[in-house]
Amino acid sequence: MLALRRVAKSFLDRARPTPVLENISLDIPEHEFVCIVGPSGSGKSTLLRIMMGLTPPSSGEVLYRGQRVTSVNLHAAMVFQSFALLPWLTVQANVELGLRARDLPEEDARKRAAFYLDRVGLDGYEEAYPMELSGGMKQRAGLARALAVEPELLFMDEPFAGLDALTSANLREEVLTLWSDHALPVNTVVMVTHIIEEAVLMADRVVVLSSRPGRIAADLQVKLPRPRSKRDEGFDELVDSIFERIV
Amino acid sequence: MSEERTTPAWLPILSGLVLVLFLGLVLGPERVLHVARGVARAPRAPDLLPAAGWSMLRMTASYLASLLFAWAAGYYAATRPGAARVILPLLDVGQSVPVLGFFPAAIYLFLTLLGGGRLSLELASIFLIFTCQVWNLAFAVYEGISTIPAETRAAADSLGLRGVLRLRALLLPACIPSLVYNSMLSWTNGWYFLIACEIIVTGKAEYDLPGLGSILSRALARGDLMLATGALFTLVALVITIEFVLWRPMRVWSQRYRYDTMQGEEAEEETAFRLPDLGIPTLLRPVRALVHSLWERLPIAAANRAAARSAALARAAWRWLRWPAGVALVAGVGFGIAGIVRAMSPPWPREAAALPLALLFSFLRIAAAYVLALAWILPLALWASDHPRQVRRLSLIAQIGASIPATAFFPVLVALLVDRFGGMEIISIALAMTGMQWYLLFNLLGGVQRVPRDLHESMRSLGLDRRQIHRKLVIPACMPALVTGSVVAWGGTWNALILSEYVVYRGRTYEVLGIGQMLNRATFQTGSRTMLFLSIALLVGTVVAFNRLVWDRLYREVHARYRLEG
Repeated sequence: MLALRRVAKSFLDRARPTPVLENISLDIPEHEFVCIVGPSGSGKSTLLRIMMGLTPPSSGEVLYRGQRVTSVNLHAAMVFQSFALLPWLTVQANVELGLRARDLPEEDARKRAAFYLDRVGLDGYEEAYPMELSGGMKQRAGLARALAVEPELLFMDEPFAGLDALTSANLREEVLTLWSDHALPVNTVVMVTHIIEEAVLMADRVVVLSSRPGRIAADLQVKLPRPRSKRDEGFDELVDSIFERIV
Repeated sequence: MSEERTTPAWLPILSGLVLVLFLGLVLGPERVLHVARGVARAPRAPDLLPAAGWSMLRMTASYLASLLFAWAAGYYAATRPGAARVILPLLDVGQSVPVLGFFPAAIYLFLTLLGGGRLSLELASIFLIFTCQVWNLAFAVYEGISTIPAETRAAADSLGLRGVLRLRALLLPACIPSLVYNSMLSWTNGWYFLIACEIIVTGKAEYDLPGLGSILSRALARGDLMLATGALFTLVALVITIEFVLWRPMRVWSQRYRYDTMQGEEAEEETAFRLPDLGIPTLLRPVRALVHSLWERLPIAAANRAAARSAALARAAWRWLRWPAGVALVAGVGFGIAGIVRAMSPPWPREAAALPLALLFSFLRIAAAYVLALAWILPLALWASDHPRQVRRLSLIAQIGASIPATAFFPVLVALLVDRFGGMEIISIALAMTGMQWYLLFNLLGGVQRVPRDLHESMRSLGLDRRQIHRKLVIPACMPALVTGSVVAWGGTWNALILSEYVVYRGRTYEVLGIGQMLNRATFQTGSRTMLFLSIALLVGTVVAFNRLVWDRLYREVHARYRLEG
C-alpha cells in the first residue's frame, strides 16, 4: 500500500546539511499495524511526516498504491502528540474541518463527525472547546478528526506520550478495537513511539530505527496472539531483544 | 461571553436613539460641514461633539486601511521564505519615521495628485494617522502567523485545509490575540498624534480639518484653555467609551484564540469592574447573526475555485504586466529617491550644522525622561505585584494616559515651570515623559501579572519578606517585560519629540534645540525640504542603529536569562 524507496532526509544546521534519515526502504502492506520505534533523534517523526507527504524527502521516493507522493496524501490522516486541535473551534467543528476541506455537504459533515465522536466515546461533548477537555479526551477528539476523513491509512505520532498511564492504556485498547473493526475504512496504521512495550502490545510489525542518522536497524514481525498483555509468554523476551538492538 | 445577562428591553432602543442623535449631530448641521480653510472662524465649544465624530471616522478609516496593509505585509513576511528579511527592516524604518516625515508624501500623493479639495485633505489626514497605526499591526500579523505551533500547522496540512478555509480556520484566528492587543496600541498612538494629523501644512498654507486634534492644537495656540480642556475631556471620554464598548469585550473574546490559556486569569477581568453594557450586545446580535449566516452560505468550494481562478488570472496578467509594472515601480521609487537626494544634497542651510548637537540633546532629554519615568513606575509595579487586584485598574489608567497628547499637558506645565527651573528645557523633558511612562507601566504591569502566584507563595513559605521577594523574584521575572516596554517607550518618544520640543502656546513658540524642533521648524517655519529630510535621515539612522546595537542584544540576553518556563 505504501512503499518507501531509498528515502533520505537532511536538514540544514547552521548552513551545514545534517543527515537525519538515511537509506530507508520499507513496504507497508494493507491491513498491517506497524510501529516505528527508536531513540530520540532517530528521525521517527520526520519519517512519519515524509510518509504523510507533509515534508518532501531530500532524496528517494514515497509511493502510495504505486503513485508517487508529492504533496499531502489526502487518503491518509494523522494523529499528533500535542493533539493539535484548534483551540478556537468546538470539538465538533474541529472534527468537521477535514470534511469541509473535502467539500462534503454540511449536513453529511455534521452527521459523520457525530458518528466518529460517538465511536471514540465523546458523545455529548460536541459543543465543548478543546481547553475544557482532559488530555485523554483531547486525544479522542484528535482521533475522531483523523478517522472522520475515512482514511485508508492512519499515521500516529506518539499519540499516547502526553497522557497519564491509565488513560493511555485505555486509549490503546480503543485504538486496537477501532483498527480491528472491519466496518471502518481505516485498516492500516503506522505509529511512532519510543516505548517498546507499547509497540509490542499493539503492532504486527516493529521497525527499529538507529539514531543520528536514522537507519533501519531491525524489522521484526510480532507473532504474539491478540489480545495481548504484558504477562504473555514471550513478551519480555521480544521487548528485551528490541531494546538490545537500539543500544 | 459564556453567561447570558438579562438587559432591560428598553436599553437597546435607548442606545440606538443616542447613536442616531450622535450621528445626526455629526452629519446634520451644515455648520459642521464647514471646512475651515486658512484663517477660518475659530472653533467653539459646540463644535466639540461633531469634531469627536469626525476624528472617530478618520481614525476608523485609517485603522481599517492599516489592518488591510498590515495583513498583506505580515502575511507575506511570514509565509514567503526570505520575505521577512526584506519586509521586517522596512517596517522597522517606517515605525521610526515620525509623522511629520510623512507630510511631504501625504501632500504630494493627495493634494498634488488629487487636486486639494476636502476629500483629498481628508485622505491626506487619514494617511498621516495610518502612518501612526500600521507598523505594529503588521508586526502583530507576522508574529501571529509565525508562532502557530508546528504540529498545529502540520495537522491543518494533513487535513487538506487550503485557500479560504485555511485562512478562516487557521491563519486569521492565530493572529487575533496579538492583533487585538496591538490594535489597542495603534488606537492609543493614533489619538496621541492626532493633534499633528488634522492640520495639513503645505508651505505657507494650512488647512484645518474639523476634529479633536485640530481643535486642541488651535485652542492651545490661542491660549483658549476652556476649549482645550473641553477637547481634552471629550478625547478622554471617547477613549474610555471605546475601551469599555470595544476593547474589553474584544480582549475577553480573543482569549479563546490563544494556544496557551492561563486558567482563571481572564475570569478576573470580567468581574474586575462591570459597567452596564448599554444593550450593545443585543444591538449587535442581528448583525452577528447576519454575518454568520452569510458566511455559512458562502460555498467554500466555489469561493476557493473563484480565488484560484482569479489568482491564475492575476498571475497571467502579472506575466504580461510585470515588466511595465516593474519599470513603473522602479521609476517611481527612483523618482522619489532622486527627489529626496536632490533635496538632501549640499549646499545645506546653515541650520544643518546644528543637527548633531540637536540629536545629542534630544538623546539626553529622552534618557532623562526615561530615568524619571522609571523612578516612579518601578515602585508602582512592585506595589501592584503585592496587590494583584489593582493591576486591571492601573492598566486602564495607563491606556487612557497614553492616549492624551503630550501637548495637552502644556498649559499646566507652563503655568508651573515657565521661566523657572530651566523653563522649556524641563517642560520638554516632562512632555517626553508623558508619552513614555505609560508604555513602561503597561508592560511592567503585564510582566508583574505573569509571575505565577505559586512562585510568590513558595517564596513566602520560605520566609522571604516582601522586599526580598521583590529583589529575588519580581524584578528578575519582569526583566523581559521591562526591556520590551523600554523598546516601545524609546521608539515612541523619539517620535513624540515632535510634540515635546516645539510648542505653540498663546501665540508664542516655545522650543529647545533638538531633532524634534528641527523637524517642526522645517515643516512649519522654513518649509525646507532639505532640513526635513536630513533630520529624518539622522533620526531614522539613530533609532534603527540603537535598536540593532542596544535593544536587540539586551532583549536576547534578558530573554535567555530571565524567561519563566512553563
